[in-house]
Amino acid sequence: MNKLIEILEDIQPGIDYTTCTDLIDGRRISSLSIISLVVELEDAFDITIPAVEIIPANFNSAQSLWQMIVRLQEEG
Amino acid sequence: MLSFSSYFSVQYIFIFFPVVLVLYAVFPQKIRRIVLLLASFSFFWAVSGKLIIFMLLSIIGIHHAGLWISSLQKDCAHILETAQKGEKKQIKAYYQKKQRSAAAFCVAIHIGILLVLKYTPFFSVNINTLLEALNLPQVRIPAFALPIGISFYTMQAVSYIFDVYRQKISADRNMMRLALFMSFFPQLMEGPICRYNETAHRLWEAPKLQFHNFSLGMQRILFGVMKKVVIADRLNLFIKTVFTGYADYHGLTIAVAAVCYTIQLYMDFSGTMDLVIGTAQIFGIRLPENFRRPFFSKTISEFWQRWHITLGAWFKDYIFYPLSMSKPLKKLSSRARRRVGNHFGPLAAGSIALFCVWIANGLWHGAGWHYIFFGMYHFALILAGNIIEPAAARLTKFLHIRRTHFLWRCFQIVRTAILVCIGELFFRAHGLRAGLAMFKKIITDFSLDSQNIQSLFSLGMDKHDFLIAAIGVLIIFVISLLQENRIAVREQIARRGLIIRFSVCYALIMFIIIFGAYGTGYVPVDPIYATF
Amino acid sequence: MSVYIKRFVCMIVFAAGLIGILTASSFVFAPKNNMPQFGMEEVSANGILGERENSIDVLVLGDSEAYSSISPMQIFKDTGFTSYVCATAGQPLDYTVVMLHRAFEKQSPKIVILETDAIYRKISAKNAVISRLSAYFSIFRYHDRWKKLSWNDFKGTSNFTWTDDFKGYKYNAKVDGCTKTDHMQPTKTAAEIPARNIKYVKEIKEFCDANGAKLVFLSTPSTVNWNYPRHNGIEALASDLGCEYVDLNLMNDKVGIDWGKDTRDKGDHLNHAGAVKVTAFLSRYLKEKDLFTDHRQDNAFATWQRALKNYEAAVK
Repeated sequence: MNKLIEILEDIQPGIDYTTCTDLIDGRRISSLSIISLVVELEDAFDITIPAVEIIPANFNSAQSLWQMIVRLQEEG
Repeated sequence: MLSFSSYFSVQYIFIFFPVVLVLYAVFPQKIRRIVLLLASFSFFWAVSGKLIIFMLLSIIGIHHAGLWISSLQKDCAHILETAQKGEKKQIKAYYQKKQRSAAAFCVAIHIGILLVLKYTPFFSVNINTLLEALNLPQVRIPAFALPIGISFYTMQAVSYIFDVYRQKISADRNMMRLALFMSFFPQLMEGPICRYNETAHRLWEAPKLQFHNFSLGMQRILFGVMKKVVIADRLNLFIKTVFTGYADYHGLTIAVAAVCYTIQLYMDFSGTMDLVIGTAQIFGIRLPENFRRPFFSKTISEFWQRWHITLGAWFKDYIFYPLSMSKPLKKLSSRARRRVGNHFGPLAAGSIALFCVWIANGLWHGAGWHYIFFGMYHFALILAGNIIEPAAARLTKFLHIRRTHFLWRCFQIVRTAILVCIGELFFRAHGLRAGLAMFKKIITDFSLDSQNIQSLFSLGMDKHDFLIAAIGVLIIFVISLLQENRIAVREQIARRGLIIRFSVCYALIMFIIIFGAYGTGYVPVDPIYATF
Repeated sequence: MSVYIKRFVCMIVFAAGLIGILTASSFVFAPKNNMPQFGMEEVSANGILGERENSIDVLVLGDSEAYSSISPMQIFKDTGFTSYVCATAGQPLDYTVVMLHRAFEKQSPKIVILETDAIYRKISAKNAVISRLSAYFSIFRYHDRWKKLSWNDFKGTSNFTWTDDFKGYKYNAKVDGCTKTDHMQPTKTAAEIPARNIKYVKEIKEFCDANGAKLVFLSTPSTVNWNYPRHNGIEALASDLGCEYVDLNLMNDKVGIDWGKDTRDKGDHLNHAGAVKVTAFLSRYLKEKDLFTDHRQDNAFATWQRALKNYEAAVK
């Protein structure tokens, strides 16, 4: 989880990722940041994030991102 | 026999819709869904006649393809259960490939039909220009009649196939349900472009009519009619004159016409959406919103998240992300990021994907170079916005401008609106050349002298007409401002006493009847988006 | 159950309120006189509203064919019968019905002539509905008058005072002849009349029957608008409804149109010379009916004598 927050802050600083829950719906991170984020996450956690996972429900908060990562890791 | 060309035609509003509503109300639930389906097919028939065959083919096609893909998925899962560890990857890849071809085949057919029906004249004209340049014989230009709403239902069909392929939804065995999802009559002509998981099951449920939904829906329909009949249709008189004979008019007139057209387009399309979503609400069905007060956007990219939302979302989900997440582009992003940093890193991959989105967006609106130009214009603006963003941030910091300040936000909103108006000028112009000539006139032939201003009132709309259009726009602006501040206007009204509720309705109805652009002297205006 | 009753009552109250508002606003928006400055549309046709009560013997309805070929003043001069042409350019039948009802408010003509070109004109569904609505609430027809409303519109009542010296005829002496005169090639085929239009014609017929008027179909000469299939279509409709049908295109021996001189736009419409010939035929036709009295010596028709003088001065 800490690793995730680090990545997020590296990509787009200035947001409190521990509490923010509307990253997408509040238009806080751009679609370009999402591209960076996906690439970074795939590298860092050794997962593949298919396009179908890129939905607000998964990307709105660090918490939901983390759940997605764990799920994808389990699915392998 | 019924025949109509828009949701605003009298036959639809006073005959078709009430009859469907009454039938829906009197039949039991199991038959209600059939009522909806039959109503949708009759609607299609009334507008496009025999061309309904294309819609039926589409329905059968996605039904079959969906089941095909899902059976491949099941086979794959089944075999994987018993497979050895080493083989799993191979099996997975094998089935993945098969699924991909199945999906690609079906999507290709859908896009192919759309391309052939909609773009053949455009392509053959351009081929002919090329052949002429090479002194070769010309090809014949065939013209096809377009089934109504093909640009919209094709998008729904493709999204269904993709969603099944990505296992976001499971394939539907019930062809009737798919048929209703594809053809639900209020959204048939101009969208919104729905996803299977948003509407299909709710439609099939055929919910019971509720008074609350009825009154809210009716209010919304009235509101939509007002936007269309009072504002959009009235502005049309002026816009048509100027865009047809643009060579005769000053830059000021053309600039005003460009702004008026942007307003007309918004009122026409969002008014239709109010009618569509209001109609669906009466049946107890929530359709996705297509507009979220786009003219409060601070950037062009935000504008496209608030204007024709379902189209933008479709392009994002089915073109932008798949492309930018494809292996080669991912590699590009990750390498570039290390070299040029967070901001510019993903820009290369992002802009390639964005380029494809905007080519598709331009072409989706119609076969013409000015539509492609329109797409490229917005692509360039969004790209430029991304490129200069760090510099702009530094500049504002240097100048001590607070980016959250009210005036700065106003500046952004006005700037975005002006950029949008320029884009719509090209969008409406009769071809790219006319668009460029008009744009040039705005720059070189612009003056605010009183004679020019006076001449505005002699081009199909007099002072009274402009005044009433302005009042209409003001009303919409105030309501939008309230909604922007999270005040649900309709619900607020619904909570008030009978007298206030009635008065609002009466005021709206009389406003439409008195100030509507209908009757002698007005030509009915076909809905703009239905032709896309 | 009580919830349903409450809602039902609410809806009734709402509808009643709406009807009240529509009625009130219709009163405000209706033109207070039948002149253009009061917002009246199609002034020459609506001049009939300013005629003295029960003073019109023959009513003519139709489109530009009718007002280009029938001159009521000439009929008055020849026979002493009064007629009025309530024809408008491109008249759709829904407006024909409006004109019919308006004319019969104060008049009770014994013959109603319907020029047949209008029977084939396609009626837009939207306009048909608006016409129907405006029969009850005139705001639907006159809503655009918001631009010109004055205080008088809120307090005055309608009082139609104006009438046309030409009684709806539109004088045009331009000559632009044509050489094509074989527009009536005999055939068995019949041009189809749109179903909606047949409904309107039936309605007109029923209204005439109920008000003691005889409906006559009349096809005035036109090489552009008339042909044999259309003749057959109207013929069938006429026998269906039991109306008399007169097709002047087949009776040129009695009318004597010279297509080289008697048309103003290459056979589409007649000019004044053509209208004189058609009207002369019509005068004889009406005389034969033996239904009307000669008003020429009647003092009550002094205004017609004055109008005749103006008319003759204008067409000379």
